[in-house]
Amino acid sequence: MSFEWQVITNNFSFLMGGLLTTFQLAIIAISGGLALGILVGMARLSSIKPIYYPATLFVNLMRTQPLILVIFWFYFLIPIVLGNPIDAFTSAAIAFIIFEASYFAEIIRAGIQSISKGQVEAAYSTGFTYWQAMRYFIIPQALKNMLPSLITQGVVVFQDTSLAYVIGLREFLRSANVVDAREMRSVELYLFVGFVYFMICFSMSRICKRMELKKGAA
Amino acid sequence: MLNYDFKWSILWEEPYGGWILEGVATTLKLGALCCLFSFILGVIIGTLRITNYKPLRIFAEAYTEFFRDIPLLVQLFFWYFAVPSLMPETMRVWVYQEIPNFEFWVVVVGLSLYSSSRMAEQIRAGINSISPDQFNAALSTGFSHYQAYRYVIIPLAVRLVIPPLTTETLTVFKNTALAMTVGVLETTFMSQQVEAYTFHGLEATTAACVIYMIITLIVVGTMNWIEKMLAVPGLIIRKGANS
Amino acid sequence: MKKISLLSAMFMAFFVFTSNAMAVDTLEKISDSGTFIVGARDGAIPFGFHNDQNEHVGFSLDIAKEFHKALEEKLGKTLELKTIVVNPKTRIPLVANGNVHIVTGSATHTIPREDTVDFSLTFFLTGSQLLVKKDKGFASVKDLSGKKIGAAQGSTNEKTIRKLNESGYFNPEAKLVIYQEHTQGMLALNNGIIEAYCGDGSHLAGMKSKAKNADDYIIIGEMLSYDPYAFILPENDSNFRDFINEQLIRMFVDGRYMKYYDKWFGANGVVPFPMTDDFRTLIKLQSWPL
Repeated sequence: MSFEWQVITNNFSFLMGGLLTTFQLAIIAISGGLALGILVGMARLSSIKPIYYPATLFVNLMRTQPLILVIFWFYFLIPIVLGNPIDAFTSAAIAFIIFEASYFAEIIRAGIQSISKGQVEAAYSTGFTYWQAMRYFIIPQALKNMLPSLITQGVVVFQDTSLAYVIGLREFLRSANVVDAREMRSVELYLFVGFVYFMICFSMSRICKRMELKKGAA
Repeated sequence: MLNYDFKWSILWEEPYGGWILEGVATTLKLGALCCLFSFILGVIIGTLRITNYKPLRIFAEAYTEFFRDIPLLVQLFFWYFAVPSLMPETMRVWVYQEIPNFEFWVVVVGLSLYSSSRMAEQIRAGINSISPDQFNAALSTGFSHYQAYRYVIIPLAVRLVIPPLTTETLTVFKNTALAMTVGVLETTFMSQQVEAYTFHGLEATTAACVIYMIITLIVVGTMNWIEKMLAVPGLIIRKGANS
Repeated sequence: MKKISLLSAMFMAFFVFTSNAMAVDTLEKISDSGTFIVGARDGAIPFGFHNDQNEHVGFSLDIAKEFHKALEEKLGKTLELKTIVVNPKTRIPLVANGNVHIVTGSATHTIPREDTVDFSLTFFLTGSQLLVKKDKGFASVKDLSGKKIGAAQGSTNEKTIRKLNESGYFNPEAKLVIYQEHTQGMLALNNGIIEAYCGDGSHLAGMKSKAKNADDYIIIGEMLSYDPYAFILPENDSNFRDFINEQLIRMFVDGRYMKYYDKWFGANGVVPFPMTDDFRTLIKLQSWPL
């Protein structure tokens, strides 16, 4: 068989539209997941039981589930709760934020735990409240310490967004699929999709590796 | 709230309950096979990553990066939709029409390759965490390089990597859900099949969620048991429980 | 905000089963809001889809526009026509919820669906057929005994193949491969993973016409199932249903219907799909005296 790469150039803007959706979803999923993850991570370390137990249950429950199923579940649940149908993008974004939060929470928890007790006490002794200490002192440090893990997870989230395919979201993979159904050039299209994902994820993991090395050297 | 009549009874109505159970059986079979193959491949690739022979090391590293940096769904679609058109016609007909349960085996291949790269990373990390002294000690007792790996390093590493591998094993089982996209009748697929026939998507999907929870408990239990069986008293103390 | 909720209405939500639906007065609702909200398909060529210029067009949309015109005349005021994209999972709940006034798509009129919504007269007749590659030389459906046949999950087509297997029509049994959507089935067919794809004849014609190598495919077989398409209407609103049916009959009688049929399904249409004799008779029989 011969390759016909024009299929990529002919449909380039359409494919890039899909990639843009992928990026949008990834950015929302990462920032939302991280924000919620910070709260859940803090809750996981709380000494207050009504906070600790639900957070722990949430994290452990989410981590037993395949993401694809969680995406479906929210797709069915949200309209019932809201009383209104919602679009695939919003539905996927909510599912991702909640699902990824459980993974970010564990990273944040490890990050907070990596900060020595002495530092925390020092923060309190300067008159900081719990929230102030967390806000200005502990969380920024934890994030910094955990940056490589966070980036790794970010790459995972970026790849995960391809699963929004299943509820009909026209992200990168689906746009390739749509083009494929018309042009019948599966090999070229999936190689291209794979290549783009690879380049993005590979360069991110390189950056991450460099950071880890730097951290090791410091 | 929308007016939604919950009807949990569909889950034990015939044939829907039976469908979901069939799905569970497929999930377990698929997961077990993929775990096995990806573990074997993972050990090979993980070991290659730390050999002294550079071409092999580069190959192993490229392998890991390649399979790890492309979303699994893209890989599955590639194996399923794209690869056939690369085959000669007669072979294609044979492969796609004659292999029973073909969709299932495509996923076994795709998921095993994908997971093996992740397993390889864990195994490499495990081996790296063994001090070079151990290796040298093994060599000094007259072991060859091969024997040192075979009898000392790998057995030690396997025990070290069980906790991270538990996580990977769970990931494999969770990832089997993607098989639905190429028509494998596993748990997630069946839950959507029930949805398509009954319009009760939330109940069916929730049932699938519970099933994956149970599968997780089974896998964690099995891995804990394996770990206990392999434990060398006093040698390796597991740090903290792993989910 | 209104825009957002309308946008949101574009997809999802299929569970509303208002078993005790109250009678609604859709005509009054349309008149009060000054908007006629129509649900239409996207990607169901040629019933409703986005063309190369990215406009939402199609056979069902043309008919919806006729309804719009007639409504404006009846109510004596200008109405805004709003189209919302629906899919097979959302089309029934959206009408049941009152988010859209009518779905002009490609829904089969079935009795179970009557529990939740009402239907107009039949405006299109099709049935399950098979799309195959020409060079494979399949002449009849039976030739696919023992072969792999694809179908979309939950479709009447999937059920049809199962029934044919159970009844012993296929001997040995055809192997059914279930896909999440038509595009995947088309890909699998093209790449030789399956030998045939089962879908509604009109859908298959649309899929075929969209493909680059359209001439490589052929639709075979008699209609394996009976799929009369109708517009989805709110439950228990006979005034509105009468109005829609009357307009449909007027279109049947004065030739507007055939004009649109030729535009989309004629020999030079987007998806050539010659009208069967049964179909022609059905249109005639449904043309009640005005």
